Amino acid sequence: METRQQGSTLFSAVLVLIATLVVIQLWLMATAVDALLGRQSDVLLPTMAGSAVLFLLAAGLLWYVVSFDHRLRQWASRDR
Amino acid sequence: MDEPRWRQDFPVRWDEDHYVTRRELAKFLTLGSGLLAGANAMIALIGLTRTPPAAPVQRIAGVNDVAPGSSLLFRYPTSEDPCILVRDASGRFDAFSQVCTHLSCAVVHAPGEDVLACPCHKGAFSARDGLPTAGPPTRRLPRVVIEQRGDDLVATRLEV
Repeated sequence: METRQQGSTLFSAVLVLIATLVVIQLWLMATAVDALLGRQSDVLLPTMAGSAVLFLLAAGLLWYVVSFDHRLRQWASRDR
Repeated sequence: MDEPRWRQDFPVRWDEDHYVTRRELAKFLTLGSGLLAGANAMIALIGLTRTPPAAPVQRIAGVNDVAPGSSLLFRYPTSEDPCILVRDASGRFDAFSQVCTHLSCAVVHAPGEDVLACPCHKGAFSARDGLPTAGPPTRRLPRVVIEQRGDDLVATRLEV
């Protein structure tokens, strides 16, 4: 059974994961800007695709942790 | 056991408060992630739809205007684009954009040397092919393709 302690740990872990994904996205954007200024158009599509995938990952993680939290609250209200 | 009176008056639970704060931060970070993905898509769109600047055929200087081992500044393809023409000791001509690819300072030619130096951050480029040879720049200088037509040196296009 999921506990509040598990939820708290999960939230921290997901938060760190999302923050890491955002840092990677920042790096990808810096690479894209550098390629734009250097007129290297072959780099632009992979950085765009990579950034989109990272965003989907971040959104998926957020959805997972929010649904976990929702489930936890439902159980807590049922137990009361 | 009943909660103390002060707890009823001030029903603030720090663990729950932190829990909500982390959720808000996660949402904020995900929103930022979406904005970064959007910005990256915009950059790709700009880069892929951009057309190369028109490069007119333009006279730069006469062949005898530049002594071997020296250089000459000019503007190409527009009056906003500073460039540098270098003539090495053997008489060969090469021309490049004068804008450093690091942080856009103007590169200068050291007379008698095959080096274009950026004084801002000690960057250096080869005056032969424009490739970076020292310092922070990682991209080459755009080359201005020049032709000799009679006694004139003519710029025909810009190679990025």
